[in-house]
Amino acid sequence: MQYSQRGRLTDQVARVVCFVFAILLIAVIVAVFIFIGSKAFRIFSEGGNPRTFFTIDNWDPTGENDPTGNGTPTYGAFGLIFGSIVITLGSIIIVTPLALLTAIFFTEMAPKWLVRFLQPLIEIFTGVPSIVIGFIGLTVLVPFLSKAITPVAKNLGVLGATAGYGWGAAILVLIVMVLPTVLSVSIDSLRAVPDSVREASLALGSTRWQMMRKAIIPAASTGLGTAVVLGMARAIGETLAVELVLAGSSLPAKLFSLGALFQPNVNVTAQIAQDFGEAVGTTAEDAYWTLAFVLLVISFIFICLSRYLASRSVYK
Amino acid sequence: MSAPSASPFMLPQAEETRVTAQKRLVRRLNRNNAIASSLLWLVTVIVAVIFLAIIVNVIWTGAPAFFVSTFFSSGGAGILSELFNSFYILILTEIILFPVSLGAAIFLVEYTRQGPFVTVVHFAAETLAGVPSLVLGMFGFLFFSVDLHMSVSRLAGALTLLCLNFPLALRLFEGALNTVSRDQREGALALGSTRWQSIWTVVLPSALPGIITGLILTAGKIIGESAALLFTMGISNPNNVFTLDPRIASDTLTTHLYYLKQSGIGTSGLGASGEATLDAGIAATLILLLLIINLVARYVGRQVQKKLTAA
Repeated sequence: MQYSQRGRLTDQVARVVCFVFAILLIAVIVAVFIFIGSKAFRIFSEGGNPRTFFTIDNWDPTGENDPTGNGTPTYGAFGLIFGSIVITLGSIIIVTPLALLTAIFFTEMAPKWLVRFLQPLIEIFTGVPSIVIGFIGLTVLVPFLSKAITPVAKNLGVLGATAGYGWGAAILVLIVMVLPTVLSVSIDSLRAVPDSVREASLALGSTRWQMMRKAIIPAASTGLGTAVVLGMARAIGETLAVELVLAGSSLPAKLFSLGALFQPNVNVTAQIAQDFGEAVGTTAEDAYWTLAFVLLVISFIFICLSRYLASRSVYK
Repeated sequence: MSAPSASPFMLPQAEETRVTAQKRLVRRLNRNNAIASSLLWLVTVIVAVIFLAIIVNVIWTGAPAFFVSTFFSSGGAGILSELFNSFYILILTEIILFPVSLGAAIFLVEYTRQGPFVTVVHFAAETLAGVPSLVLGMFGFLFFSVDLHMSVSRLAGALTLLCLNFPLALRLFEGALNTVSRDQREGALALGSTRWQSIWTVVLPSALPGIITGLILTAGKIIGESAALLFTMGISNPNNVFTLDPRIASDTLTTHLYYLKQSGIGTSGLGASGEATLDAGIAATLILLLLIINLVARYVGRQVQKKLTAA
């Protein structure tokens, strides 16, 4: 009797403890939104204008670049957000076809030995530290781009000494960072398509390529969409790899030109990583919380979108 | 002459044009198939070569650093303190992360049935997994370092890493628990054991390979993380890092490499070429650690599986 009572007590305790741990996860994400959200709007009561925050291209929360010399801060994050959007879209446009083609090859055509070799490679690459990719970008990619750009630097309006850093290098670095994620999610969604779909298509006399294009890809389309959206969520929040190859402290003079791809530049995450530490304790700090909140909201939208797509997929 | 019809009694001439048309169609389809196949091969080979080239390049350029006598020393020219800190923070984080996320996974898989609560937790996990690590680092700074008065310390870093890796660990552990068949649970319950007894004596031992693999995979993520640690654990070391004190600030391999690349030449006192070697050496160390962690995860998973199925 005593023994079974003790057993039931242990069971109850374990149940409650495990329940608390599960609740903890919800508490963490709610706390992230509350804590960052509570700081995000302070800047607008300290002289920041919510309308110009997203339209002006002048990020100067400390006021050190104020032309009048009064040290009036300016909060214009358009350039930063624009930079994040450029490198995210630029990388995802290249990653999407690469990942889809590789994933289709991987599930439909690849010989077994190749799968056995590629699978671990993809898994390892999903976990490569972003700082290492940034390091490669800085030591291999940037010098290479710089050499390639130098002959035409004048035509693009790029300073020769710093040519090669910038959005172009950041896009290439992001491709390497995002590709494994998109690839592995795409492979999962293609594998979820049952073989009966393949057999039906082949039995109707289609070639392999027709089968992939007309049967497999449409059947897995929502899953593939999820993969791309998750890749974008990863790309927009990527920090150190991007910061090292951007290497800028302000936007280039001509924002809408080809040359802007190949000279030092900024985006949201790089700006935060560079200056948040110094801004802590000053009034400039609040401006960075607003930036963080913008990132948080964007990634939340991406996650909702990916969940919506996943909920619509036929095969899971 | 009228257009060729589908009747079996076609004129020989019309039959011939139909056959040539079909032959042409088949040839076109086969050609497209061949073009597509070679394109797919090409793209996959390019992707694989890029991946391999990056790994080989990092190790190749970093290997000379392993033969520099000061590389494995503490201080500005070596990485011993950073190596110690990386493993310290790894162990400290896992001590908290492992029971918490395994407990949450046990609750979701064993104690509660599929329903709104599980959906909410999964939604929370996906959202948390989508939060950029930099933003989570800022949250960790605000909540742990400032509000809970931990300041910039190893403990604040470990707790931030807990938040960061919770969703991944939960998913991996849930997957591990789900591989255990229903029959085993029901057998244990039918013998009169409580839920917890069936979990402790039946489910957890069977799920052990998956749990260990999950543990090792999260270890890889923790070793490689950098952005979340910038504001919570700092990028500089106190005089003596070789203590178990969780209240001191310290850097890791990743944040140290970031610091070196960000602040430019001169911080290590090695000169340009020496510092380039040091940087490459740190990158190679990180990649090698990651490779080892992945191989160990695979090996351990297979070994434990073997032992369990043999017994």
